[in-house]
Amino acid sequence: MIGKFLETLYTKVFINIIVENSQTVVYVEECSRNEVLQSTHKVFETTSINSKMQDFIRAFFKQTPFYYVSILDKSSNQGAIPTCTVSEMGKYCDINSSEYICFSEHWAYYTSEYDLEAIKHEYRSIGLDFIFSPFALMATFFKDKIGSTLAMFVLVEDSYISFSIFDKSRLLYGEYLDMQHHKDDEEMLIDSSLEYEDDTSLGIDGIDLEDMSIEDDVVSFDDFADIEDLDSDNSMDEFSEIQEIHENIEHEVDISTEGFNEDYQRFSLIQSALKTFYKDPKYESQFIETIYIADGARVSSDLKSYLEEEMFLNVYVRKIDLGVVLCEMAKAEVNEI
Amino acid sequence: MRYSYIKPRAKTIFTKDIQLLFTFFGVTIFMLFSTYAFLLFRDYRFTQEMQDIKEQKNQLSINISKINKQIAVAQKQSLLAEKIFTKNSVLKDSINNLFDLVPSRITLSEAKIMQNGLILYGITPNKDVYNFMLQAPLRSIFHRTYSSFYPADNGWLRFVSTNYIDEEELSSEN
Repeated sequence: MIGKFLETLYTKVFINIIVENSQTVVYVEECSRNEVLQSTHKVFETTSINSKMQDFIRAFFKQTPFYYVSILDKSSNQGAIPTCTVSEMGKYCDINSSEYICFSEHWAYYTSEYDLEAIKHEYRSIGLDFIFSPFALMATFFKDKIGSTLAMFVLVEDSYISFSIFDKSRLLYGEYLDMQHHKDDEEMLIDSSLEYEDDTSLGIDGIDLEDMSIEDDVVSFDDFADIEDLDSDNSMDEFSEIQEIHENIEHEVDISTEGFNEDYQRFSLIQSALKTFYKDPKYESQFIETIYIADGARVSSDLKSYLEEEMFLNVYVRKIDLGVVLCEMAKAEVNEI
Repeated sequence: MRYSYIKPRAKTIFTKDIQLLFTFFGVTIFMLFSTYAFLLFRDYRFTQEMQDIKEQKNQLSINISKINKQIAVAQKQSLLAEKIFTKNSVLKDSINNLFDLVPSRITLSEAKIMQNGLILYGITPNKDVYNFMLQAPLRSIFHRTYSSFYPADNGWLRFVSTNYIDEEELSSEN
């Protein structure tokens, strides 16, 4: 009782860590009772905790004893299952090595115990209070829609997609999709085809090193006979400018193609997940016409157009600030205590 | 509803800083109270010692008065002893003088010394020896002298000499 009273006198600090592709966003909210006093976003160019991030977070620990550190689970061995009965869970995942939480009577989300321990170990220098599943985050974010519609609900992060299908609060299908692995798989397919081509070419023609003459190479060095010309400033500047222009063009092309690729990759992942849902007899298949996307990775309109044009879905996109929603969940947890 | 996979760490307002602060204040307060208790104890002991000393003082003053009384008694006794000693020495001198008075030819058999008188019993060869050699000095000392004789078996005379000093005359002489 006295503890609760004293707790109200102190400000609470909610530190929320979101690990992205190449950076980590730390969103901090300072609250007094139900009022938000201050909120801060800080981006660190690391995907694991470094000393700068540690110092930044530790600075808040000194302000109040009531600080809560939350993180979004990134384990690739996580998912959501349409049951909350332990005996049935075995059908969908390896329950022995997983930690699960029933969101309601009808569905649960789970993650690998090993990965949980790995996260705790990684952040042991600051300690963690909450590890949230993206499925729980998504269900909280779309709680106004999940209860009333039959639709796909997708949370898009930088490298991951939390894919779920709900029919009026009842989960039909849930899968955590890893874009990195998917990409690797695709690349491996491409690489293997290339290797095959190379092998065949080598097999047919072959290269006989003994046939190569050294003289040919020596002749080619004659072009550099007057090597002092290369040292002149003008020629070097011109060369560097040209190089820069080329680099810029290449960079722009990379960005646009990367964005395009990522959206297409997301689309293909969603498509394949939906196919699995339709085909896998484990799941109660229903025809889905609508998709709600929680956009936490600033996706372009391409994804929406793909889904609309290729799959004929009604697409609704909502921007989500993962840090803010994570913070809301942490607050709800703290109020539950 | 619980969303998180892990439970939050227990939060308490008693952080390390606060604990250190409380420890510091606790030690300070403990030292203050222990000093206060020590002073109280010393004060109590001091009061007790003071009472003891007062009691001792009273006891000593009672003893002093007792001893003073004893001293007074002793002084009185000493005075008395002195008096008696003086009297005895006077008496001794008187007896010496008395025996010096008695001539060798007269033998005393008994002498009674009284407050204001002297009775002598003895044997004398004859009355003249007694009258000239003993009675004459006795008369010079005592105011009244009475002598009586009766014959002894060997032909000598037994005598009883009764001598008195009159107090009135003695005071008028002084």
